Amino acid sequence: MRRLKQFGLMLSLIFLAACGTTRAEITPTFEQAAEEAKQSTVNFYMWGGDDGINRYIDEYVAPRLKETYDVELNRVPMDTAEFVRQLSLDKRANREEGTIDLMWINGDNFRNAAEAELLQGDLLDKIPNAALLNEEAQATDAGTPTDGLEVAWGNVQFVMHYDADKVKNPPTTFDELHRWTEENPGRFTYPEVTDFTGNAFVRHLLYAEYGAAAGDGEIPDAFWEKLATWSPTLWKQGSTYPKSLAQLDQLYAAGDVWMTMGFNERRAEAERNDGVFPKGTRALVLEHSIASTHFLAVPFNAKNPNGALVVINELLSPEAQLAKQDATYWGDGTSLDLTKLDAADRDAFLKLDDGVTYPDPERLAERSIPDYGPAVIDAIREEWDRVAK
Amino acid sequence: MSRSSLWLSLIVLALPFTGVAFLLYETVGFDWSELNEAAWRASLAVTLYVTLTSTFLSLVIGTWLARTIYMRRSMWLASFLKWPMFVPHVAAAYLFYLLFSGGFPVYGLIEANERHHLVVILTYVWKEVPFVFLMVVGTYGQLNPGYLDMAKTLQLKPLEQFRVAEWPFLIKPLLDSFWVLVAFISFAYEVPALLGVTYPELLGVLAYERLTTGLFLNAFESYAVALAWTLFIFSGVIASYALTAKRRRRIERGVRR
Repeated sequence: MRRLKQFGLMLSLIFLAACGTTRAEITPTFEQAAEEAKQSTVNFYMWGGDDGINRYIDEYVAPRLKETYDVELNRVPMDTAEFVRQLSLDKRANREEGTIDLMWINGDNFRNAAEAELLQGDLLDKIPNAALLNEEAQATDAGTPTDGLEVAWGNVQFVMHYDADKVKNPPTTFDELHRWTEENPGRFTYPEVTDFTGNAFVRHLLYAEYGAAAGDGEIPDAFWEKLATWSPTLWKQGSTYPKSLAQLDQLYAAGDVWMTMGFNERRAEAERNDGVFPKGTRALVLEHSIASTHFLAVPFNAKNPNGALVVINELLSPEAQLAKQDATYWGDGTSLDLTKLDAADRDAFLKLDDGVTYPDPERLAERSIPDYGPAVIDAIREEWDRVAK
Repeated sequence: MSRSSLWLSLIVLALPFTGVAFLLYETVGFDWSELNEAAWRASLAVTLYVTLTSTFLSLVIGTWLARTIYMRRSMWLASFLKWPMFVPHVAAAYLFYLLFSGGFPVYGLIEANERHHLVVILTYVWKEVPFVFLMVVGTYGQLNPGYLDMAKTLQLKPLEQFRVAEWPFLIKPLLDSFWVLVAFISFAYEVPALLGVTYPELLGVLAYERLTTGLFLNAFESYAVALAWTLFIFSGVIASYALTAKRRRRIERGVRR
């Protein structure tokens, strides 16, 4: 009986402890935040599926943070939708002290998080390096206004890559691509539309047909009928599609298909140099290319929000952004406005722009289009099944 | 029974019920008609097809192997047969993916990622036959050879001999294996995700997809499906054991001597 009492006491203590915690506050200035963050750990939740990105964080960013600010960076690899869910459960359970301090987010995950009020606001004025940001990239996230709930970390465009040793006359428009797949049956496919990249590919086709007019999420039947005519000449006759971009990249690396695609115009360089992608890999820019920005955000219940601000500021520094854009690690485009940098930094960025698999930057910029809003992403996800059937 | 083992069993028992309670809580107010959607219907059909085919084949082959090995007393073969059991399902999925998705000689005969899900079924049969074998071979080990001798003495045909002298003892292990396999295969993820097709998807794959992508509004569909499927399996288990209870008890009493 006594043991039972002890147990009950312990249980109620745990409950009391859980209720007693309060939200950690962000300090008014960055200097105070840096002081506060000393000797603390920042838990950075991010999608962990790319080796180059992971190495950039672990080998480049983490040691610099330790040295400059005495902050420990703990990278936690997890699917974005997964930790957004975890946060929404925290919100429902009123957990004021969470496990996530900083997260990498964009697109509909951001929209969901913003709608559910899972993010801390007013980030920009507390981060000195935010003044260097490319304002256009910072303004909206796939059609949703960012409202200071997240900070642009990188800015990339959608680019396709093909093997020039096998594809002699690459297509120049999406219509020509369709014809090319008919002439080369089984050599092209795209990821399922539940995948970020697969969905974007279908959005490009939609844009090729209807332009910005399709932004309300009402997709005409004729579009789906036309998309269905692609299927018979795709990989496996379109009876199945790669589940993820990683799977499409595998098919491309193995030579099963001759084209791959993805956000980030520099993504193929390291893969090609490592011999994963064929030596003949070249960029293919069709008539338009969606620009996509990805962001950093701080959850409402971050245990160490000041540490998170320090990390964001460091990630936005010209040196860290330059290392990020270099093909050594990641090759991710900068979210900074080059005209706001000093001459030496700007030159360093411009010097990076030569790789065999890089598209012509001017042509790419010229064909850049803003993304449709979340309504189109959802509509494609819901209706694409008829093509896959 | 020691106190610690009692507590441990209670915890193990409490977990599935807590799970069901949570699922019930999550699905309160869920509009069940949302599940009456082409994707879910197609998923249910293909899941039943894959699950029942794989389970049935595994049971038949596993039992047949156990019987043959028991009759011939070739126990060294038995130890080899266990090997596939120790290969994780993910690894098995990759193995079959590599075998059947290109390059290898068998390519073209049957292929991974096609609508009939033959490679999915093959993977499951390869993985589960040893499991069934282990469940059944123990029963054969304890089998009273007197029954078989008597059946032979009565000059019954081989099939009749099996029916009266072996089958009654096999009901219990086969029923156990059947439900373990059905519960496992029908809601698994890795194997059908890697070897299946985009449409129709097996329940586990579709549920996971709805749970993790887009708005979490769709998560309730996944919870509802998980709940319905769990209850379906629970009631199937209870009904099948209840129906065979009398027979099994009689046989168990007989076999204990």
